[in-house]
Amino acid sequence: MYGGGYIYEDSGRSRQQEEQLQDDPVKLAAFEARIARGEKIEPGDWMPVEYRRQLIRLIEQHAHSEIIGALPEGTWITRAPGFKRKLALIAKVQDEIGHGQLLYNAAETLGKSREAMINDLLSGKSKYSNVFNYPAETWADVTVIGFLIDAAAIVNQVANAKGSYGPYCRALERICYEESFHLKQGHDAFIELATGTAAQKAMLQDALNRWWQPIMHFFGPPDKVSSHSEKLMQWKVKMASNDDMRNQFLEAYVPKIWELGLTLPDTLLKKNQETGKWEYSDPDWDLFFEVIKGNGPCNKERLNVRKWAEEHGSWIRKALMREEERERTALPVA
Amino acid sequence: MQIQQALPELLIKIADDELIIGHRNSEWTGLGPVMEEDIAFSSMAQDKIGHAWAIYRILQEHFEGQDPDQFAFMRDAAAYKCCHLVEMPIGAYEFSLMRHFLFDHAETARYQSFSQSSFTPLQQLAGKIKGELKYHTLHADAWILQLCKAGEESRQRMQGALDDCFQLAGGIFEPGKEEALLISENIYPGEQALYQQWLSTISPVIEKAGLIMPQMTAPVYGGRQGQHTQYLQQLLNEMGEVFRLDPEATW
Amino acid sequence: MNESLDPRVNRLRLNNSDGSFSVEEGENWNVFEVFHQEKRGAHHEHVGCVHAPDANLALIFAKEQFGRRKKCVNLWVVRSADILAFDLEDEDMFANNPDKTYRDASGFKVMDKINKFKAQSK
Repeated sequence: MYGGGYIYEDSGRSRQQEEQLQDDPVKLAAFEARIARGEKIEPGDWMPVEYRRQLIRLIEQHAHSEIIGALPEGTWITRAPGFKRKLALIAKVQDEIGHGQLLYNAAETLGKSREAMINDLLSGKSKYSNVFNYPAETWADVTVIGFLIDAAAIVNQVANAKGSYGPYCRALERICYEESFHLKQGHDAFIELATGTAAQKAMLQDALNRWWQPIMHFFGPPDKVSSHSEKLMQWKVKMASNDDMRNQFLEAYVPKIWELGLTLPDTLLKKNQETGKWEYSDPDWDLFFEVIKGNGPCNKERLNVRKWAEEHGSWIRKALMREEERERTALPVA
Repeated sequence: MQIQQALPELLIKIADDELIIGHRNSEWTGLGPVMEEDIAFSSMAQDKIGHAWAIYRILQEHFEGQDPDQFAFMRDAAAYKCCHLVEMPIGAYEFSLMRHFLFDHAETARYQSFSQSSFTPLQQLAGKIKGELKYHTLHADAWILQLCKAGEESRQRMQGALDDCFQLAGGIFEPGKEEALLISENIYPGEQALYQQWLSTISPVIEKAGLIMPQMTAPVYGGRQGQHTQYLQQLLNEMGEVFRLDPEATW
Repeated sequence: MNESLDPRVNRLRLNNSDGSFSVEEGENWNVFEVFHQEKRGAHHEHVGCVHAPDANLALIFAKEQFGRRKKCVNLWVVRSADILAFDLEDEDMFANNPDKTYRDASGFKVMDKINKFKAQSK
């Protein structure tokens, strides 16, 4: 699962244009015409330098978000109540790792190795979705994540699946299929608490209150402050604006929260019947950028856990590197 | 002892083993050595928990047992009949892999024998999960062989893990007082027979891997009688933490 | 580091230091493309790839990454490096296919001829 939110490198327009100048203008025109016709770009195809760079960045961050995203919910793997929840949660967290696997492969087709991406994650050079830097304090948090964060991720991923890069679209097709299971199991567990005992309901309301701001942050800063992305929209790397996606999410899910008698910690939240758009209080964007910088409540732990996993798996991976294959001969081809 | 008491004894210990090892192995989900293996290992952990759930349901249906969730999440350690091998913390990956190898071959031997069991539900379950177990041992064997042939450091780690696990694995086959009756009723062939079957399947792999097979000098017994390591109660406290907040609630 | 909310993480005894760690290039092994067969008699279809040290483990990994949901009866794995494909620029070699209607049923307007014949013989 993955949201928008500061995913595009703010390289500045001048640099973007400069790099495009290096691209053969005839090829660039043909490339843009293909995208305009709705054709997909495939790994071996010619593509602008900036297109490749932004795509690697986007897909890589998406992949990181999956494997880091496995950690907050993983917090409750050993404590899920009852067989059904236990199995569903393990399967769900497993899927997140599976999504990471698919996405790293998609990014690799653009020429960056999985190892290099993992190293950039561990060093902090490459980011992942901010939402996973918050703690999952109770079982109810798992249901909020499984229902609402996954729902938000679906909005984003369904949009991205219509993008221009073939391998990313194919990975997303499979991911969206599995996310529908996540959403359903999350919604089911969420409803169970919402309609359960007073204690269960209180637990859920508390989790909802804590997660609402990170959820509002999920799609990234408002369009008015978000960095320039017209070119990325034209290239079908970015498929919808942050505000549009946020609005889509609110439209689909706020009623599903309210219908269960739960409240959201935003007194201004309502749909404007005239514009058809949702209105809400601005979440704290300074905090959002602080968390991106690494100062969220769980940034350090998340990366340290990933580091532990990589470090402790190292001897196994190294033991099975064949001498004759030390030089990787190929990246994924499709 | 009546068969109505003997059979649940057998079923409970098998299911408890599977639940606890499944729980332990699921701890690796998201923390595995490489994503592909993370996924495979997690699937097998889910399978194990699923097998336990299936057996608890047999207990409920045929022996007036409790609801499987209540039975699994509310019992304390002394009521659990799992062997010590499965209780141990996950340790380093070589420990978890070796435990998986030893346990899954034992489980396979057990379910193969159940495919001829006179107790129909067990016989049916054996048929149903045969393919899953085949994958589990295929996976385990492949890893043992690959890592043991991948240089001295790697082989030594695996030998160390085998030495750490072996006596504990002997505890899988702890004799039970219900056995004689179960054997005579053709429910299953008894622990000694399963132990021999297990040895005959793991030995060729261990030999091919170049590992030294330890002697089974002091198999760790006690689990089947409800005597456990400290790790089990800790695990159960954790597993039941949410469920026990309100055991009457649905979650 | 403070106590984690995840009991699993507490058991890992994470290193508190900010020491860096990096993986070596090639440590995630080679890449194998995976082909999935949904039912006997059907074609194997490409579904993605796995990283594995050899074909044997690639198949074992592929089984769970690409065969844990939906119907699957078999899988193939083949090293990505062994796949030979045309370049995109070579797409033009196929460009005239639709024009060569003599290779296609649509190129033969049998009914037109029959109708014409029937109309004439009236």
